[in-house]
Amino acid sequence: MEKLHDRKLVPKKVACPVGFTLTNLKAELRAIWECNVKEWKIELAYPISFVRACVEPVIFLLPFLVFGLILVGGPVSETLKALVNTSNIVTFVFSGYMIMGFIGTAVWAMGFSIRKEQWYGTLESIYVTPTNRLSLVFGMALHSIVHQSLGTALEFGVIYAIFGFALKIEGILPALVIFALMMFALSGFGVFISALTLILKEGWIVSEGFHSIIMILSPVAYPLLVLPNIAQQASLLLPTTPGLIGMRTFLLQDYRPEIAVNVFLHLLALDAAWMLFGVTIFYLTDKYIRKSGTLGKY
Amino acid sequence: MKTNIFIVWSETLKNIKFLAAYPVIFVFWTIFPLFWFIPFVLQGQALVGNIGPSDLWKGLTGNTEVVPFIIVGAILNGYVLNALYGVGESIREEAYQGTLDYVLASPCNKAYVLIGKALSGSISSTIYAIIQFIVCVFLFGVTITAWVIMPVILVIILLILGLYGIALMLAAVSLQLKQAHEVAHTLDYIFYVFAPVRYPIQFLPFWAQVIGQILPLTYALIATRGLMFNSESPSQIYLSIFLLLIIDVAAILVGFYLFNWMEKRTKKSGSISHY
Amino acid sequence: MVHNQDNTEYSIETINLTKVFRKKKHRGIFGFLKKEKEKKDKSSDGKKDLTVALDHVNCKIRSGELFGLLGPNGAGKTTFVKCISTILIPDEGTAIVNGFDVRKETSLVRASIGLAIGGERSLYWKLTARDNLTYFASLYKMPRNIIKERVEELLSKMNLLERADERVEDYSTGMRQKIVVARALLHNPPVLLLDEPTLGLDPTFSRQIRSQIRELCDKEGKTILLATHYMKEADEMCDRVAIINNGKIVAVDTSDKLKAMVKETELVEVSCYNPPSDTEHYLKSLYPDIEIVTLIPGNEAEGTPSRIKLMGENAEKRTSKVLEALLKKDAKITNVNIGTPTLEDVFIKLTGAKLTEGGAG
Repeated sequence: MEKLHDRKLVPKKVACPVGFTLTNLKAELRAIWECNVKEWKIELAYPISFVRACVEPVIFLLPFLVFGLILVGGPVSETLKALVNTSNIVTFVFSGYMIMGFIGTAVWAMGFSIRKEQWYGTLESIYVTPTNRLSLVFGMALHSIVHQSLGTALEFGVIYAIFGFALKIEGILPALVIFALMMFALSGFGVFISALTLILKEGWIVSEGFHSIIMILSPVAYPLLVLPNIAQQASLLLPTTPGLIGMRTFLLQDYRPEIAVNVFLHLLALDAAWMLFGVTIFYLTDKYIRKSGTLGKY
Repeated sequence: MKTNIFIVWSETLKNIKFLAAYPVIFVFWTIFPLFWFIPFVLQGQALVGNIGPSDLWKGLTGNTEVVPFIIVGAILNGYVLNALYGVGESIREEAYQGTLDYVLASPCNKAYVLIGKALSGSISSTIYAIIQFIVCVFLFGVTITAWVIMPVILVIILLILGLYGIALMLAAVSLQLKQAHEVAHTLDYIFYVFAPVRYPIQFLPFWAQVIGQILPLTYALIATRGLMFNSESPSQIYLSIFLLLIIDVAAILVGFYLFNWMEKRTKKSGSISHY
Repeated sequence: MVHNQDNTEYSIETINLTKVFRKKKHRGIFGFLKKEKEKKDKSSDGKKDLTVALDHVNCKIRSGELFGLLGPNGAGKTTFVKCISTILIPDEGTAIVNGFDVRKETSLVRASIGLAIGGERSLYWKLTARDNLTYFASLYKMPRNIIKERVEELLSKMNLLERADERVEDYSTGMRQKIVVARALLHNPPVLLLDEPTLGLDPTFSRQIRSQIRELCDKEGKTILLATHYMKEADEMCDRVAIINNGKIVAVDTSDKLKAMVKETELVEVSCYNPPSDTEHYLKSLYPDIEIVTLIPGNEAEGTPSRIKLMGENAEKRTSKVLEALLKKDAKITNVNIGTPTLEDVFIKLTGAKLTEGGAG
């Protein structure tokens, strides 16, 4: 049999930009944007679903607030004040719950992105395009972030109208910076989840499982101090922990002040760690499913 | 009658075999409903800690402790989730698999097929509930006295019957509406907010309490907690059971009628298996 | 592109391409009860658990050629297409597509190919045809200023311009397949991979798609790999045909040269209704000197008779005896054809299996 190196290989030009070039980067960013647009078009084809998804954050928050208010007999908790120097239940729970939807961005929107394309039947068609697979995942994330922002804004309006609460206006910008850092790390986590959901047949269990674990370990509805020691240590691995602590530090009037630099450094470290870990697992999984031939299977 | 019972049995067996083929799903539904109420337990600790719940809570719940109150709510809520998502979407799943046409073309009354699906869901929910309760006994020290077991089982059976009626209504809607899971989600939200799963509903505004009072889960929870924790008077427990019975009858009758009507209508319009 | 020593340009070349799948066991909750039985059944080398989908396949497809890959379901056609398109990573060997190695230069391979798979959902049903094509054009990294024009051009070519803004869920199967083919052409790739593009389509749409495929090859010089189990499609359209069965390519040549492998005197086809229940065994036991006896069942309700193929040196000699034997069993003979081989006959001769069934025959 003729050997490959005996023959003349003539490199051919391809129409699409590839490799580490500015043109290619622009093309990848555009693919992310178009994926986001595509998801919006599909979502808006189900208007009832869209409305429900916007209302959902409010629905899931209400029991936490009502439960807390009945338990304490009012909006002020001295036990909470002793733990974190803020006594207003509504402000504390809402400031934590605001990011709940964005945890969903990581575990559901990103985590289930590849699976969703499998369900549509379009995954193989997308995989043969020269666009990086991660662009698909980030495109879904972008759609979800915009979506969750709408839900959070609605949530803000409803809770403010019913209960009222006070946030520090001057703290909004640094809180947004912390939010951005947290979302970057959560994106890395989301990439990791998207890889896992591909390997396991019942991928939704992975997303739901991680969502529940993050919900328990993160100081969403309660301060970190009520968790057992080992759970507190584990929670430091999650970007939501420094994210929530940092955002509350800047937004709540009388929250126990944390050293902001610690929070920023913690988040930066988690950003690097989760993104590196997530992308590595993603590429390894991609190779594995292409080897095992389960790409098109749902 | 024998044939209908056989249909129910065949459908139940088929669904249980499906579940047995997916052990991961079985494990998931056993464990994770417990995970979902842990944040409330921890929130309670953060808010009242060693002080204990407020007089308001004690007054509204008949002096029930927080953790047992929530656990009973979480376990019984599992039956609601099964009724809404397990049964309500069963028709959509049949359409997706391509078997819906054949099921509907069969000469049997399709409502019995749905009852079979509901029964398999109830069996699995009961298995999950038993395992969850045993775990809570060891983890949280929840106790139950022997003599209340049978009455609690009766209450759960009545709850399941009421949920069957709701599931039939949902299945009827799903024949026409391709987004039936949105209706299931909406019903889920109604139970989530207006039923006394995590808190007594007397604290809610009047209009919200009215909604809560037409849900079978409300009376099932009042009766179950009353029996287990002595938090209600016997007359209140009997009243709750009686009201639950009335809701059951109404829900099942409406569910059957609606389903049969929708089935005829959908067959006429030919939209039965559009997916 | 690979140039051979005789300077022929090849757009696709596979070198010892091999793909093996491991069968997964689904045990369920009570699987532990089955473990003991499985231990007893398991063969010593574990071969029962492996499926060899491609077995050291070496194949060359010239530039500008319409190359057919003909085989039954399970032969390895789709696996072959998926390995070349980088959806699957081969276990051994490699493929060179448009001069790029599928293992090492996957992005460049993807930029060089367009893939269209028949019979599957592979479009966003809640989007319009235009939206679908526009989205995929962005995934092919086409410049924004070109996308709109290119999408219009392809929709016009596929005669779908009028319905371009309707949702794909409202399209017929044939229209959806046209969009799938249009998608493969968006970035004007030099290589097209078509896996059963006419699967499930009615004759009208099938004809339209086939003529478009031929045009792409003749007028635009594209290299097209057409994987199909429709013998007529491969026979009429392709410049060369490779016959694949059980993961191996058993023959490659032009359709005429392949058919010439079956001598006229070696082939008899009897069409009949109500063939005997075990026709192959029945006729083989009566006339063991006929090399191959194959029954291809028809559909009496649709008026399609069953076909009994007799192949071998003694096929023509035994024709009258075979007809007698069939009449004895109350078969209703409708036609007897001697000596006009088809690709199906070539397939049967080379593999002993039927083209319409799974590869194991």
